[in-house]
Amino acid sequence: MNLAIVIVIAAALALVIILRLAVTQSLQSKPRSDLAVSIRPIDIEAFRNLIDPAEDEYLRSRLPANQFRGVRRERLRAMAAYVHAAASNAAVLVRVGETALASGDQRIAGAAQQLVHDALLLRRNSTVALARIYLALAWPYSGFAAVRVVERYERVSGTAMLLGRLQNPAVPVRLSGRL
Amino acid sequence: MLQPHSLLWHYLWLAPNVLQAALAVLLWYRGLQRQFPVFVGYLIFGAIEQFTLYGMDVAPSVSAEAYWSASWVGLIVEAMLIVAVIGELSFQLLQGRPAIARIGSRLISGAGAVLVLLAVLAAAYAPVFHRPPALISHADLLMFRAYVIMQSSYLIDCGLVLALFLFASHFGLRWNHRGFGIALGFGIVWCEHLATWALIASGTLLDKRLDFLNMATYHACVLMWFYFLLVPQKSATTSAVSLPENNLDIWNRELERLLQQ
Repeated sequence: MNLAIVIVIAAALALVIILRLAVTQSLQSKPRSDLAVSIRPIDIEAFRNLIDPAEDEYLRSRLPANQFRGVRRERLRAMAAYVHAAASNAAVLVRVGETALASGDQRIAGAAQQLVHDALLLRRNSTVALARIYLALAWPYSGFAAVRVVERYERVSGTAMLLGRLQNPAVPVRLSGRL
Repeated sequence: MLQPHSLLWHYLWLAPNVLQAALAVLLWYRGLQRQFPVFVGYLIFGAIEQFTLYGMDVAPSVSAEAYWSASWVGLIVEAMLIVAVIGELSFQLLQGRPAIARIGSRLISGAGAVLVLLAVLAAAYAPVFHRPPALISHADLLMFRAYVIMQSSYLIDCGLVLALFLFASHFGLRWNHRGFGIALGFGIVWCEHLATWALIASGTLLDKRLDFLNMATYHACVLMWFYFLLVPQKSATTSAVSLPENNLDIWNRELERLLQQ
């Protein structure tokens, strides 16, 4: 295929993506009251258990190599599902926080700033963790620490809860629970 | 280098640049040059560059070689300014977000490096001559090379603005209203310019209508900037976010349990 045609197709694709993202951004910038409904509660304890290196070591010592690889892959897939949920929750919390940033109340604005900061860190860590999980799926014997995602998630949950309380003391918020 | 052109052609060349110069003055008047100094610089430089080139194009005494030499200088300065504008937009996007400032600037710089490499490869594979060598003058050579430079420049710009949009979308970042308008305008123009200059530079399609398409798109983009930069954004009322019911206690208990471990 002619190089020019390849560039034209790439430019058209880039334009479609930019326009689509711009429309999404415009829709997101409208204040929505149902944002928090899209938060998926996560069972932190189950996730913590899933990423515990001692559990992996125990399974490795007890199971034959091929069986361990299968079990490890299953655990990694479950881990990825949890991290996906944490990442999408973080994205929602960034939007919740940025909506609240414009608040005239200093306490709310401060809590919102903290929430945005923590949620962005969680989003970043989730992206890195997901990349490592997918890498580990290809090579199940490699070990890695997803603990930072859990720690960050707990911290984000705390700031989201604080912001929720400041904004609307009567209405509760939940970021943890059964997936 | 006097060439016969339609009235629409003259309008589409001049009008966006008159509007661009007016926009720069209005932005300066409103003090917005402090927020977007490089973008205002780009508007001023772009208007001066295009008025100069227009003057050279319609003046019979100016040779084609002089016109394309001036065009070359303009292209190089403009390309540097555009990269600086993208830097300004990414700074605006990452400002106040220290959690992702470093990773953001690294990703954008990395994308820039990859795009420069792609642009060099595309330029290396672009056919420069569409005529027998005997019929190629020095002015033709300058013109064909200017086309390739434009293709390379728009490839980098288009890729960088796409990277900015993808980055903002991935992290759920909210753009500043004005920054969003500038990025969107540039995104549309650069993608369209990349496609047309790729066709022109390769000689796949040498049609005067592509000039009209380029100029009309840029005109629309300048009007878009007028809207985003000068029309005040509707102030969003920050109502309390409605949150799921009856879960706070459960979350509190769980958090306390986690903290006690």
